[in-house]
Amino acid sequence: MEKIVLPDIPNFDKIDTYLANGGFSAYRKALTQYPDDIIDQVKKSGLRGRGGAAFSAGLKWSFMPKTTDKPKYLCVNGDESEPGSFKDRQIFEYNPFQLIEGILITCYAIGAKTCYIYIRGEYHKWVKFMEKAVETAYEKGFVGEKMKEVFGGGFFCDIHVHKGAGAYICGEESSLMNSIEGKRPYPRVKPPFPAQNGLWGNPTTINNVETITNVPAIINKGWEWYASIGEPKHPGTILFGVSGHVNKPGVYELPSGTLLTDIIYSYAGGVPGNKKIKCVIPGGSSMPPLRGDQLEGVKMDAESLRMAGSAIGTGGIMVMDEDTDLVKVLARITKFYYHESCGQCTPCREGTGWMLKLLNRILRGEGSTKDVELLVSVANNIEGNTVCALGEAAAWPVKFMVTRFRDEFEARVKESAAREVVNKVHSMRRTVNPISPINI
Amino acid sequence: MSSFILDGKQIEFKQGQTIIQAAADHGIDIPHFCWHPSLSISGNCRVCLVEVERMPKLVIACSTLAAEGMVVHTNSEKTLAARNAVMEFILINHPLDCPICDEAGECKLQDYAYQHSVGESRFTEEKMHKDKRVELGPHVMFDGERCISCSRCIRFCDEIAGEPQLTFVQRGDRVTIVTYPGKELDNPYSLNVTDICPVGALTNRDFRFKARVWDMSSTKSVCSGCARGCNTDIWVRSNEILRLTPRHNEEVNSYWMCDEGRLNTFKHVNSESRVSGPQIKRDGKLNKSNWDEAYAAAFGELKSYTKDEIAFIGSAASTCEDNYILAKFAKTVIGAKHIDFPRHIKAGDQDNILIREDKTPNALGAELAGIRPAADGLTFHAIMKAVDEGRIKALYVVEEDLVGLNPAYKETLRKLELLIVHASNYNETTELANIIFPAATYAEKNGTWVNFQGRIQRIRPAVTTIEGDRSLDNLAMSRLDKFGTEFDRWGNVKKMDARPVWKIISGLANTQSGKFRYSTSEDVFNELVKSVPDFSGLDYDVIGEKGAALKKFVNTKTV
Repeated sequence: MEKIVLPDIPNFDKIDTYLANGGFSAYRKALTQYPDDIIDQVKKSGLRGRGGAAFSAGLKWSFMPKTTDKPKYLCVNGDESEPGSFKDRQIFEYNPFQLIEGILITCYAIGAKTCYIYIRGEYHKWVKFMEKAVETAYEKGFVGEKMKEVFGGGFFCDIHVHKGAGAYICGEESSLMNSIEGKRPYPRVKPPFPAQNGLWGNPTTINNVETITNVPAIINKGWEWYASIGEPKHPGTILFGVSGHVNKPGVYELPSGTLLTDIIYSYAGGVPGNKKIKCVIPGGSSMPPLRGDQLEGVKMDAESLRMAGSAIGTGGIMVMDEDTDLVKVLARITKFYYHESCGQCTPCREGTGWMLKLLNRILRGEGSTKDVELLVSVANNIEGNTVCALGEAAAWPVKFMVTRFRDEFEARVKESAAREVVNKVHSMRRTVNPISPINI
Repeated sequence: MSSFILDGKQIEFKQGQTIIQAAADHGIDIPHFCWHPSLSISGNCRVCLVEVERMPKLVIACSTLAAEGMVVHTNSEKTLAARNAVMEFILINHPLDCPICDEAGECKLQDYAYQHSVGESRFTEEKMHKDKRVELGPHVMFDGERCISCSRCIRFCDEIAGEPQLTFVQRGDRVTIVTYPGKELDNPYSLNVTDICPVGALTNRDFRFKARVWDMSSTKSVCSGCARGCNTDIWVRSNEILRLTPRHNEEVNSYWMCDEGRLNTFKHVNSESRVSGPQIKRDGKLNKSNWDEAYAAAFGELKSYTKDEIAFIGSAASTCEDNYILAKFAKTVIGAKHIDFPRHIKAGDQDNILIREDKTPNALGAELAGIRPAADGLTFHAIMKAVDEGRIKALYVVEEDLVGLNPAYKETLRKLELLIVHASNYNETTELANIIFPAATYAEKNGTWVNFQGRIQRIRPAVTTIEGDRSLDNLAMSRLDKFGTEFDRWGNVKKMDARPVWKIISGLANTQSGKFRYSTSEDVFNELVKSVPDFSGLDYDVIGEKGAALKKFVNTKTV
């Protein structure tokens, strides 16, 4: 099977090796076509975003206004901070030039003159790799104004590597833009969406690192070829980061639709000690976990996982064997989202802390069956009521872990004690019509 | 005009309006904390989540644009569930210390907790602890635990005051508000954050713990601090002013007022230095007199000078009515020609927000009402020079502390044979006076001021005087309505024996002629309207609560 994003070629991160293997030929080919044709090909290729939402990349590009006086921007989201996801850094380390070439093609297609590669603050090492690669590309004239001489065609764009300051929320695309602008990275209220009102109010497209790295292959080999790989509704190869209780954890590039069990047992070498699997989170810690007995026949692509009751997310597969304490796992995951909630909007700011307190109570053995119900209720109250998707990211693991492994939780709590303490806010039930005179 | 359906009611909206704005224009309040009509939209509190048909998720009414044919539900099951959820979330870490919180009684969170939450919480964990009693600046105190992180104060500083002095720090439920280390919240408008704070997180250090808000009455008035004339409410308990707050008037001050006006324009009303009862100097000592005696004495003294020897000083702090009567008296009864008022221009102390260089509320009104020299009369500075040179021997000064204005006038005023002063408080000018008439302050009388835009606005009595207690011209509401609580001891507090200028001068004039017959300031105003064309078409009802532009200024852009 051919690998698109992480080819098995030694020293592929060196510019000479990259060039010797056809590097920048895709960009040259793109230059012979109209930008709209490029967008059209990417649309037809079926390339879907690899950052979590699996949204059509070509469709996203087509939202960029065609006629505008404003500068347009491309942001490459490399803030990879989701627990269980560690694929983008492989690209920074082993295939930086294909990412750069993908950026050039994307910028050409959407008419952007400036690209920011936003890299997670904790990725010091990979920031260095990427800075080095961009510097080399500038020296060779593959990026920046010299592009016009090297490639011809009159188009050029600049690439800046931007290091985050260390916050999960910066991976949310509108937070990422605020972060680049030097603001506190609070997610923006949408609409307006980035294509209308992005960086400094200008049209902006934000794509994941892996998404962009796929683009040169689509241009080079044609959309038909790409669309034929893997599952038709979510074609191409996907980087699966496998972690947890497996013998060979790591990043595997496989066609979409590969069986989850194949990934775990064949590629990742199975579970140590041949233990049974209790739980798998298939797409990074915020995605709904699957029970060990639900894994048979589950294919790894967006549509199949949706049918199976989860989501592809970032393709970060976390495997937990039969001895895993899922209450502890959930408490740890919830602690992460509590720690990373930006605090802007009420449900996530207050709800993540509440869920963590409840989980810690259950962990201490002081929980009751009511607390388990309350936990799910709090998660439901967060879901759908927040500014950004971090609300869901925090709520889903709780909601689905508890409902799918209810026995685990109920085994840890006492029958609902008479702990009938209610925190009286006031003694009055609703007596006033909610619509009352205006009160600024 | 386009329209949409809000809870079954057809609501018209202008293009580009959000659901909450369109609803507000129709007097419908969709619950909200972070949205404020004069600030940018932040969308963080999530209380305004509403259900819109054919939209997959609930949307926030503050940022969702109204669209033709949209069907919005603010009371549907889904909306109520979300609102209850958000209310519960907001309250879990809130200290619920309403009994000791200054905001109680005017707290959005308290109101909404009663109106929109289920009344009890399922939260039994320990609440978050944050810094309390943080002095954010000279005037503002911050309580981190009460804060609901709505960001109104931050946006106010950024967008209205133009000084980004506040910010969030930390994440999640640890988020709190700080100033930059070593810096303070000290912009000239800082106290507005205490008004827009929907909870008791930001409080006015000058007012903290002075009163429960429901024990005070509020009276619609205008700030006397400068020529802007910001609309205010005067808050009074036991006949004492405890605070001023801005009152919305988009034409003048929007929702705001400056700290200087808010803090430093009412304390003299409550001060120990008030003049109570007319004072006549005999043998170098002031003696309290009764009004009739003082009127007769003042009138008799004035009559012993020729009209060239007398000058009248009006005031841009007095009302149009006061100045009109003063001018009428000076010109028709005394026949004086030297009449003017001093300007209080503080050069450079002006911004493009609210603050004006002219530190008086009624310079335009004083002039229009007739406080200007006759063709052969002297202007203010010429009058003071003539006093210095002994040409003017008698000076009648209304509500101006001339020595306070210029210390050199102390020597000048000593040269006078007669100095009659209207003053609310003792000052260095009253020390030199032969007769002092106690003046009712702007908070004790009815009247009008004309601001720098040419907008005429009404002031109303918020505090009562002995005289005001029995007059037709006093508090707008009945006693029980106004001072309805048992903690408001209005009946047995000290009241000043002071009167508005127009009433004193009428009394003075009537000792001889009896032609100054007015029972209320409104009577004076109606005569003013008839005799001064600039005021034509106006009456107290037309001016109303938000003022009216004088005709010749209607089209003047001055905001």
